[in-house]
Amino acid sequence: MLTTFGTFALRRRVLVLALLGLGAAQPSWAQPGTYPRNGVYDQRPGLYAFTHATIQTDYQTKLTDATLLIKEGKVVAVGPSATVKIPAGAVVQDLTGQYIYPGLVDIFTSYGVPEVKAPERRGRRDAGPQFESQKAGAYDWNQAIHPEVNAAELFKTNAEQAAAYRKLGFGAVLTQQPDGIMRGTAALVSLNTGRKENEVILLDKAASSLSFDKGSSPQDYPGSLMGSIALLRQSYLDAEWNARNPRREQNLSLQALTQQRPLPALFEVRDKQSALRADRVGDETGVQYIIKSRGDEYQRLPELKATGATFVVPVNFPDAYQVEDIYDAQRIALEDMQHWEQAPANAARLRQAGIAFCLTAADLKDKTKFWPNLRKAARYGLSEQDILRALTDTPARLLRAQNQVGSLRPGLEANFLVCSRPLLAEDNVLLDNWVQGERYQLSTLPADYRGVYTLQLVTADKALKDQARINADMRLLIQGSKPEAPELRIVPAAGDTVRGTISVSAELATLVYNPKDKVKGKAAPRPSASGKTADEGATRLSGYYNAETKTFAGDGLLAQGLSAPGIPITWTARRLDEASRQARLDTAKAPKPLALGPVTYPMGAYGLKAAPKLEAVLIKNATVWTSEKAGKLEGTDVLLSGGKIQKIGKNLTAPAGARTIDGTGKHLTPGIIDEHSHLAISEGVNEGTQAVTSEVRIGDVIDPEDVGVYRDLAGGVVAAQLLHGSANPIGGQSALIKMRWGATGQEMKIANAPGFIKFALGENVKQSNWGELNVLRFPQTRMGVEQVFVDAFTRAKEYEKSWQAYDKLSKKAQAKVEAPRRDLELDALVEILHDTRHITCHSYVQSEINMLLNVSDRMGFKVNTFTHILEGYKVADKMKAHGTNASTFSDWWAYKNEVRDAIPYNAAIMHHVGLNVAINSDDAEMSRRLNQEAAKSVKYGGLSETEALALVTINPARMLHLDDRMGSLKEGKDADVVLWTDNPLSIYAKAEYTFVDGREYFSLQQDQQLRQQIQQERQRLVQAMLGARKAGVATQPATAKTVGLWHCDTLGQIAE
Amino acid sequence: MRRLLLPFFLTAFAAHAQVPTPAAPQATPVLLLGGTLHTGTGQVIENAAVAFDKGRLVYAGPRAGFSQTAGYTVRDVSGQHVYPGLILPNTTLGISEVESIRATVDDQEVGALNPNVRSVIAYNTDSDVIPTVRLNGVLLAQSTPRGGLLSGQSSVVQLDAWNWQDALVKADDGLHLTWPQQVVRLNPAEDAAALTRRQEARTTQLRELEGLLSEAGAYRQQPAGRKENLRLSSMGGLFDGSKTLYIHADYGKELIESVRFARRLGVQKVALVGARDAWMVLDFLKQNDVAVVLSRVHALPRRDGDDYDQPYKLPAQLQAAGVRYCLDYQGSQETSGARNLAFIAGTAVTYGLTKEQALTAITLSSARILGIDKDYGSLESGKSATLVVSKGDLLDMRTNAVTAAYIDGRSIALESKQTYLDRKFRCKYGIE
Repeated sequence: MLTTFGTFALRRRVLVLALLGLGAAQPSWAQPGTYPRNGVYDQRPGLYAFTHATIQTDYQTKLTDATLLIKEGKVVAVGPSATVKIPAGAVVQDLTGQYIYPGLVDIFTSYGVPEVKAPERRGRRDAGPQFESQKAGAYDWNQAIHPEVNAAELFKTNAEQAAAYRKLGFGAVLTQQPDGIMRGTAALVSLNTGRKENEVILLDKAASSLSFDKGSSPQDYPGSLMGSIALLRQSYLDAEWNARNPRREQNLSLQALTQQRPLPALFEVRDKQSALRADRVGDETGVQYIIKSRGDEYQRLPELKATGATFVVPVNFPDAYQVEDIYDAQRIALEDMQHWEQAPANAARLRQAGIAFCLTAADLKDKTKFWPNLRKAARYGLSEQDILRALTDTPARLLRAQNQVGSLRPGLEANFLVCSRPLLAEDNVLLDNWVQGERYQLSTLPADYRGVYTLQLVTADKALKDQARINADMRLLIQGSKPEAPELRIVPAAGDTVRGTISVSAELATLVYNPKDKVKGKAAPRPSASGKTADEGATRLSGYYNAETKTFAGDGLLAQGLSAPGIPITWTARRLDEASRQARLDTAKAPKPLALGPVTYPMGAYGLKAAPKLEAVLIKNATVWTSEKAGKLEGTDVLLSGGKIQKIGKNLTAPAGARTIDGTGKHLTPGIIDEHSHLAISEGVNEGTQAVTSEVRIGDVIDPEDVGVYRDLAGGVVAAQLLHGSANPIGGQSALIKMRWGATGQEMKIANAPGFIKFALGENVKQSNWGELNVLRFPQTRMGVEQVFVDAFTRAKEYEKSWQAYDKLSKKAQAKVEAPRRDLELDALVEILHDTRHITCHSYVQSEINMLLNVSDRMGFKVNTFTHILEGYKVADKMKAHGTNASTFSDWWAYKNEVRDAIPYNAAIMHHVGLNVAINSDDAEMSRRLNQEAAKSVKYGGLSETEALALVTINPARMLHLDDRMGSLKEGKDADVVLWTDNPLSIYAKAEYTFVDGREYFSLQQDQQLRQQIQQERQRLVQAMLGARKAGVATQPATAKTVGLWHCDTLGQIAE
Repeated sequence: MRRLLLPFFLTAFAAHAQVPTPAAPQATPVLLLGGTLHTGTGQVIENAAVAFDKGRLVYAGPRAGFSQTAGYTVRDVSGQHVYPGLILPNTTLGISEVESIRATVDDQEVGALNPNVRSVIAYNTDSDVIPTVRLNGVLLAQSTPRGGLLSGQSSVVQLDAWNWQDALVKADDGLHLTWPQQVVRLNPAEDAAALTRRQEARTTQLRELEGLLSEAGAYRQQPAGRKENLRLSSMGGLFDGSKTLYIHADYGKELIESVRFARRLGVQKVALVGARDAWMVLDFLKQNDVAVVLSRVHALPRRDGDDYDQPYKLPAQLQAAGVRYCLDYQGSQETSGARNLAFIAGTAVTYGLTKEQALTAITLSSARILGIDKDYGSLESGKSATLVVSKGDLLDMRTNAVTAAYIDGRSIALESKQTYLDRKFRCKYGIE
């Protein structure tokens, strides 16, 4: 027990008054030195000694029988009790048997900082545009970029919030306003509510804070994740430019950004993929971010480790799903079920991988789960030391505040926890949380009366003694999983047990039981005439506990029937030590062995445990469609080796170790290339908030976990151009990927692929179908579209000139002039002018096609590809003259006004005129049937079968400038091949094998295995969840994953 | 049209610059000889004879069994295939022209309960889309309203007509009910209260629907001289079996729930439309003899973990379970895309059906479910001469090439705005 001192009690009362706003005087060190006092100066030494405790001075140092000495809110000394000299006048607490830990630090909070409510986001079709920032003043153009926000200026102590954090054991937190992309600076504050902010703030501008989420900003830009990334990049560049040319523009936001460059930078992301994205931005701009992530890091450990970042990890574990209903259970995504199982192991996996991390209570809706979840994390392999480190030392060091918080050393803040047991012990109670030398009492140790007692009831009245029929040898059991919630059992006779209630408060006890409430055994009371158990009523016992004799004693009233007067008795219950100890052992649960399912790439359905292996494969005796001049070769063998097509010929022999696949009766073709796809893109396919957004890059937001990738493989698709949407004339930069299912987004990119960019014309660009509210963004007509291009390229040329002029200057001369501002938007346009970035232009009607060709002639760039190009057949001769490629749909039309003249003969006519023509999908469903779509050009327009297959193989490869390595079956090219069960142009053909880079990414056989694995894994997890629910854990309703698809004209960050 | 600028094309193709002229009634008997006959009932007859007169089939069988040629216009179709005209159920063809232009879309009336609205009066025989669909063998369609709870009534039309009266095959064949989706949590952040609110909203909808159906059932018993109620009287046919209730639902539990709901309220004929999760409840569908108008086969699986070919193999699963079903083409670009109806049947073959089973799923089965099988859906003597001749296998885009099509014996023009534009620009470039 704690020795309680009057001063404590007094000061608590003072504190309460202060909190009530009564303005009572506080102890002197609770007010900054600069503040005048009203009344008598109450200067106290705040000198306390805590003796004979087990003290963890930092996460790795434990002292037994040690003493902690604090004064005026700081640690003065800590060490073995024998060596720490207690000065006269210290208030001494003997903490024998108790434990002291450094106060915890949470690095991700918004404590005491006003919340910014984000406006309810409406789709852009339902809300008008907002082009400019609404924030008045000399700030950044973008409302989501506000590094000037300073949490220390906004911070006010908040008793309720502070108490909630203290209850969890925290002594100091980093607080910020978590809103926007560049959020401003965060402050390290203590959770002391007895002092002025001036002393509670331990470190002003302790860190800067960022995210990809524009938060409350109602401004249109950025309207996508790739837009957020582009905005971050440009903002860093703008800040550098602003610092170099300080007189050009007073921009308080950029100045703040420059000033906070040396600070630790804390980046909040939504998932592991965005963690990788954030780190890449950091690498480009020279910042190593600390990454606040979501708890799914175990799904990409090697890549996350390579970031070198420290992670801030929540201990927010999902509840089990309700899976009783077989239909509803089927709607839950497998990865969500798996995450339920794996989430508690996340931190342990980070630890095993050697990734540094902090733990945070952030994201935890129900904060009472903090400690249970930490203990759960410990069961999955974290040690107490790991957890303590992640909550003290690591955050303190990250914030460069290790000389203020995070351990107990002389000179540091006196932030520490007093515990009844070791920190993670199930029955540990956080007794006191001292913050800056101020005691906050969290709870008192509950007295534990649980055990086995002999119960004796005694009646003085001899006449009543027989009537009472009291058994001399009754047992009283006090049970329950928690000492503060004891449960009563009375054993009136061997074999009978009766349930009752007991409450003990300050040693005063009240017990009630009714012999009728049997838990087991025969009827304890007398049977009535009817043979049924009669209700004699409840017996009530009151009394007190004597700790020295370990005995309850008191008076009672023995019930004799519902209306009979009871028999007054006295009672005693004496504790049996040995039996009590035994009972405790019996109820102690053995920890369940932990068996986790596999981590697959990606998690969820069709995930692979490892990338398919690179192997040598000989496909024998197939009909080989080369998509080369050689055309179709019957009865031919193809050898894949080292990821390349090694040999094509007859009667090839398999090299040692090669696998042989019998291709008899089957057809081997080059893998299909989808020139126009919006698969595998995270959080927005269109930036589109401005007419020109050439700065955004699909390559920043590849989503490798889109199951569409796997499905494309099942349709024989091996590569695709992931295009920005068509919401604006100059869209974003494309990513050229191979369908490397299970890889990361970066790994999916085709190495050394040329740059591409999306342009667009027509209805989408002029917002014809966006509703009445979207009539303000220029352009609204095809006339305006032309001007956007002319304007953009005019600016790009001037921009290039200004850089050329600057680059020509000597270093000395450069120092004297103003450097041009680096503009990522114009950089991309300059690349187009230099033909190092190629245009894929969404287009429909002939007038606009001619317009862009005309502009390209005037401005000196090339249009690489017109995509969609449904009226290409009308201007094929002009396109031919410009050397433009055409990528079209087989038979789409009539879905909007500009496609009323579209015809399915389009591809064939353009082909006959001599254009390089491809058939593309622009659609996740059609993408996996592109062979069929190509076949339609045989039907509509009479192409030969090999010409038709070329529409989805070598032709798109050519227009993507990848034909030197992909698109046909030729020795030396990439081993991207498909073996079909039938003529690949037939509706009856299935892809049986799909190889990418010589690896088997899909086969019908492997697909069957994966299906079986999915069913097994689901069943295993369902059974585990049913078991968990039965065991009484919290559950949540079945939650279906929304399956969204991106289309050319999808706006915003949610797929349709 | 740019006719004034291109007088040459005006003279050469003016007849085709518009929707082709509907064919006149069959004047002379026609005999198709030597083709491979696919009857639609599962039979394939090589070297067949197909004879029809006054719009009716006189004979459809082995050539040897039909010797009479006198008076017949004989067409040699040897090497070619003869199929029943394909039937497109559940479509907005003719009532929606260009999806993004509101003025051309007439498939959805305002309000939740519109049992009395009728699609057929909005059916536009001059749609540019219809001729393109016919070109691939689709000759009949069920023009179907959409939206709300009770969307309205569909009608079956043939696709070569002067006006909607002329097009009618079966007027107001059924009512379309869009079954409210079961409430499931879609967002982990959604709390119990919000979930309950959505559940309650759904319950309210279902109660309203139940109220309407019960009243409609009782209303038809009212004696003559009753006060007229358009909604209630439009639903009378549900209770005597003269109209089918088409319930549009997808999720397994919704299929069970909606069918039981309709049966409980006395609806005689129920068909499910969509039914993309029918594989979950095959036994229920079989035991309750529920017909299914199956949603477009060329679709993505509903859930990430579903088999990649789940939509492709669903017809074969229904077939194996003995469930009555046919195939539709509902979804994005459903009118212009409907010319691919034959190919979704082809995909169903790749994933488990026989070719003749797949053909039945877009001909005879559809006719049965729509209640027009007395006249349409198969090639049997006595039935309507509504048929298609194709150079190759109709179900495969690689071989599908329609050379002739007849509706009620009338020889349909195989032209469209698109064939016109094709010729116009081939001519410009001098392509063969």
